[in-house]
Amino acid sequence: MAARYLVFGVLALIAFLMTAPSAMTLFTALKPPEELIRPAWTPPTAITFENFGRVWTDGGFRRYFLNTVLISTVDAIVMIVLASMTAYAMVFMSFRGKLALQVLFVVGLMIPVTAIILPLYTTVRSLGLINTHLGVIFADLALAMPVFVFMFSSYFVSIPKALHEAARVDGATELQIYRRVVMPISIPAIITTGLLEFMWSWNDLLLRLVLLPRDGMRTLSVGLLNFQGVQTRDVAGISAGAVIMAIPVILLFLFFQRHFVRGMTAGAVK
Amino acid sequence: MDDTLMDRLRAAASRFGPLSLFLIPTLAIYLYFAIYPTLSVIGFSMTKWNGISPDKTWVGFDNYTKMFSDRIFWEAFQNTFVWSAVIVVINVGLGLVIAALLSRVWRARLILQTLIVLPVVISPMAVATIWRWMLQPKGVINETLSGIGLDALTRPWLGDPDVVLFALAFAHSWSTIGLSVIIFLAGLQSVDEDLYDAAKIDGATTLQAFRYVTVPALRPVTAVVFILTLTTAFKAFDLIWATTKGGPIRFSEILSTYMYKRGALENQYGYGSAIGVALLVIVSLATLIYLRLQTRPEDR
Repeated sequence: MAARYLVFGVLALIAFLMTAPSAMTLFTALKPPEELIRPAWTPPTAITFENFGRVWTDGGFRRYFLNTVLISTVDAIVMIVLASMTAYAMVFMSFRGKLALQVLFVVGLMIPVTAIILPLYTTVRSLGLINTHLGVIFADLALAMPVFVFMFSSYFVSIPKALHEAARVDGATELQIYRRVVMPISIPAIITTGLLEFMWSWNDLLLRLVLLPRDGMRTLSVGLLNFQGVQTRDVAGISAGAVIMAIPVILLFLFFQRHFVRGMTAGAVK
Repeated sequence: MDDTLMDRLRAAASRFGPLSLFLIPTLAIYLYFAIYPTLSVIGFSMTKWNGISPDKTWVGFDNYTKMFSDRIFWEAFQNTFVWSAVIVVINVGLGLVIAALLSRVWRARLILQTLIVLPVVISPMAVATIWRWMLQPKGVINETLSGIGLDALTRPWLGDPDVVLFALAFAHSWSTIGLSVIIFLAGLQSVDEDLYDAAKIDGATTLQAFRYVTVPALRPVTAVVFILTLTTAFKAFDLIWATTKGGPIRFSEILSTYMYKRGALENQYGYGSAIGVALLVIVSLATLIYLRLQTRPEDR
């Protein structure tokens, strides 16, 4: 019995320490200037949203936020469509070169964005897509594609082949089977893909730093980096910026924890 | 009109039409924005080029020769390994312990698990902001240390050459350990309960059961977490760039930050790409091992 309480106590302490950094940042973001001299671990006595208002309007975070929402949403939706269609072809259709295609995607799993960022910049530039959201979206999709193709493939493999055969016999085309039969029963894979791609896209810094040099196009990650470098003394403002960046994905995580956990263990390789 | 020709065309369209519809958009994007840059980085690494001018000179393996005799490259190389080693030790060791503890708790387990895993979804940029602020000379870490009488331990964490890399590795671990915990928890669920019962009958203590039942049973999962943590650490960039940019001097310079400085900031595309290739080789090898580990249980 005592051991059980000890285990619980140790875990509660770990959970407290893991939460403390985020909690203190939130406290700081909610504090009025006169309270900032008090220790960081004290909760604000008078809550203010002035810091959020300041970075949102003057700090340009409104723009960064909208840019980030746009890129992440498009990424997530297009990724669901493309990865599922590719996986559909690889699981349900027979064609020559399937094995080669599989190998090609395995190769993609091994490519770290960091290593190819220089040629990626020149590639995007050659299409005139520097400083456009489209350029970032293409790069995001390409680099994360293998993970999600394999995620959908492993889901589709568990769908009985007879279901596909039956629809074929009924005269349905591949596109109809994909839309009416396979996708409706693949909701879990769709949710996991959408959530993970949205989060990765939301959180990334390097690609956006390189591909979006102009301020008006920036995302939250680059905006926060820049704000932190310029407004070094505005601790409350910087904290508010970090909170703005973290809150949406934290909320998504809390609502869809099960899907996230499953996806992160399966797609952990990225 | 020739009927047979039309028929043949129609047959071809119905045969290849759907397939190309399903594959071509993905392949176009994937080949152009992932595979082509990967081949290019190898090509770039054998040139001398500033990234803009049409004047791109083939230099063979000169960049690699230069890299292998570049003292800063080796410093960054060494730092990358130290940084990764610290992270692996924390994420594998502590991650396993936390998961094992969590699996023994029933009350409030979901809340505890959620709080521990939550930092995983926070952007490295926000993590950098949080930890830069906590680790500053007058930050909350030093305040806490003085508060409990450990003044001797206080230091400018991100400005001290001896500790900066460790402090940042700790921050990285804070934000990634939740993933190890999740994977270990999934592994723990598949450990045969009978083994614990048998150990209990043999008079084993909880600690002994952990040592002689849990740890061996989780060896394959541990290998997966190990490689996964390692690759994530190798390719990290955001956190270090947003806190120290590799400084003070070069004490937290890792391969990715060094490559970015040389390539993107100093416009040495050839040399930067050679460093990129080094990174590519290391990460690819590690990922290949990871993939083999992950697929093996299904092959059996």
